[in-house]
Amino acid sequence: MNLTRRIVLALATTALAPAAFAQDNVLRLATWDDEESLTIIESIASAFEAANPGVDIQVEAYGDGFDTKLAAAMGAGAAPDLMYMWNFPAYADALMPLNDFIARDGEAMNIADIPEGLINVSVIDGNVLGLPAGFTTHVIYYNKDLFAAAGVAEPQAGWTWADLRAAAAQLSDPATDTYGFAVDAKPDPYDFEQFYWSNGTSYIAPDGSAVDGFMNSAEGAEVLTMFADMIAGGEALALNIGDDTSGSSLFRGGKLAMFEGAMWNMSGIQESGVNFGTVVLPAFGDKPVVSTINSSAISISANTANPDLAWEFVKFYVSPEAIAMRVNDLPVRSSVAEASGQSNDPILAPFFTMLEASGAASPAFLKNPEWARIQENLAAAIEATMVDQGNAQAHLDEAVDRSARFLR
Amino acid sequence: MADAKRRKRQGPGITPWLFISPWIFGFLVFTVGPLLFSLYMSFFDWPIVGEREFIGIDNYTTMLTLDPQFWESLWITTKFALLFVPLNIVLAFLMALLLNMGLKGTGIFRTAFYLPSVISGVALVTIWSWIYSHRYGLLNYLLGLIGIDGPNWLGDAQWAVVAITIASLWGLGGTMLILLSGLQSIPKELYEAARISGVPLWAQTVWITLPMLGPMLLFSVITSIISAFQQLTIALLLTEGGPLGSTYFFAMYIYDNAFKYFDMGYAAAMSWIMFGIVLVLSLAVMKSSAAWVHYEGEVKGNGGADG
Repeated sequence: MNLTRRIVLALATTALAPAAFAQDNVLRLATWDDEESLTIIESIASAFEAANPGVDIQVEAYGDGFDTKLAAAMGAGAAPDLMYMWNFPAYADALMPLNDFIARDGEAMNIADIPEGLINVSVIDGNVLGLPAGFTTHVIYYNKDLFAAAGVAEPQAGWTWADLRAAAAQLSDPATDTYGFAVDAKPDPYDFEQFYWSNGTSYIAPDGSAVDGFMNSAEGAEVLTMFADMIAGGEALALNIGDDTSGSSLFRGGKLAMFEGAMWNMSGIQESGVNFGTVVLPAFGDKPVVSTINSSAISISANTANPDLAWEFVKFYVSPEAIAMRVNDLPVRSSVAEASGQSNDPILAPFFTMLEASGAASPAFLKNPEWARIQENLAAAIEATMVDQGNAQAHLDEAVDRSARFLR
Repeated sequence: MADAKRRKRQGPGITPWLFISPWIFGFLVFTVGPLLFSLYMSFFDWPIVGEREFIGIDNYTTMLTLDPQFWESLWITTKFALLFVPLNIVLAFLMALLLNMGLKGTGIFRTAFYLPSVISGVALVTIWSWIYSHRYGLLNYLLGLIGIDGPNWLGDAQWAVVAITIASLWGLGGTMLILLSGLQSIPKELYEAARISGVPLWAQTVWITLPMLGPMLLFSVITSIISAFQQLTIALLLTEGGPLGSTYFFAMYIYDNAFKYFDMGYAAAMSWIMFGIVLVLSLAVMKSSAAWVHYEGEVKGNGGADG
């Protein structure tokens, strides 16, 4: 056992940790960023190095293999000092609680400037395991030219799914392969929970003990049925059924009038030259609308040799100065958003509106450590419903049955 | 003479062991070690992060009694093996026969038949995803030319396994090469004698070629079964287990348990179940081979012994 472990360690160290023998003032920072985002994090690291002579921040870009590489590094005892983090329940034991640091420095760093909803997604059992730097919520992108051509009024805040469906029906034109809306048969279940919340339910009981009556609730089935009906009625194109054309690429090509998306779709859509607008998500009748919040948080390894220096970096990372350097997601600090005028920009304002509306939502994965496995059953139910164009209740009931062993 | 005698009395000593020590070292450290270690892991709740806990045979009982996905994935893999193994052997055999006929251009065809086996799995998947694309795919375009409205190959739960089987058969060049070398080592006199006695071609194939090829076929059947049960790359990249979980192969479920859910113990336990299944199947084939494999003639039977 020892021999194998040592070999695994040796391999993992060679592959992942050029600086396994860390000196006092070297911090390794693992990120999933690439391209533009990676350049931004590198310049933030350089700014920190410039302000703290003698400190070396080594940015390690794990890219798409982030979770696998991070898990391997942790398993081998060579975790990076600092890391991007989203899946807090899975890594909770390996992350350092920041509560004491925040109690000490919170006021000086004006942590109240960061909306609570953004911090909530990194709290496990009362421990703050990471701080957010950028975020996105979800909105509907719409193609202004297609709306004008079809003579349909552009969507307004406060609209409902019934409004969206009526507009989509008018905008869809099979003759030109144009569609009013697109329904993804394989959405990320984490993002999809916003529709459950908006319809007044959630995937899992607040204490994480049950999915029966939540995941397969009448409101949940109603959400799935609605999307399936949109496919069946020709209002929406079904995505990801044996074909991986994405909604954003159709939207960029001018073939899709409305599309549910986030900040990560923004730059591509801007480059495409499509004349577009954004609007908040539609409501289910008169129920309040809620969006999923996707944030990039940064965490400190529980095993770092240098927790104080790591905390200094985290403080800098969430400082107004560093946050202003992030131009490809939205600033977590309300002050930065106001100073830059982003919260009043007509294209970006709906994202901030959705953030304000979504502070209380608590995603399912925070409530049960086995969520990653439970959600596979949910994902299967969503896909099956979209393929069948119906049968939501039966598929959700099956998903609940299959999840039973993770809730014992 | 005296020297030889003394050496014999003393035995070979350590020298031969030293010569093969690099292999022994690699075998122990990279094969036997991890193998036993994974058996040990399979009795634990073994997350990558956090506490490991000894749970006895819980992983095995959960799998067999509480996890419907285990049985579904096992059935999918079995279905795939039932399609893949016979097709792989028969097609490779037919291609080998063609190449062995000494026709014009044999060299070119031999290269062409083997070429797909050289392509890496990922490139192969990229090619096939374009061939299978529902609306823009080459396959459905060709079917359209003869008036057939092709199915949504990768989007239809009925067709996806078939699509993966066809894509997997792309790499049958390896099997073909083994069978071809077997064919070429069959003594020509046997065919000559048969021809002179007026034995028709089909009878020559059945009564000379197949029996003489026995060891090679045995080896190919066993390696095909093993590779069928290990099928991962194509399913992982071409369909991601979909649609509707219809191509969620056993090996892929193991992979997800290990690297997606970080449940190393459970994944290790599943791997041992797979090992057991492959072992039993291989033994069954070996056992039955006494009836249909003959180590005779100039074929030394090296192929069969390895299986």
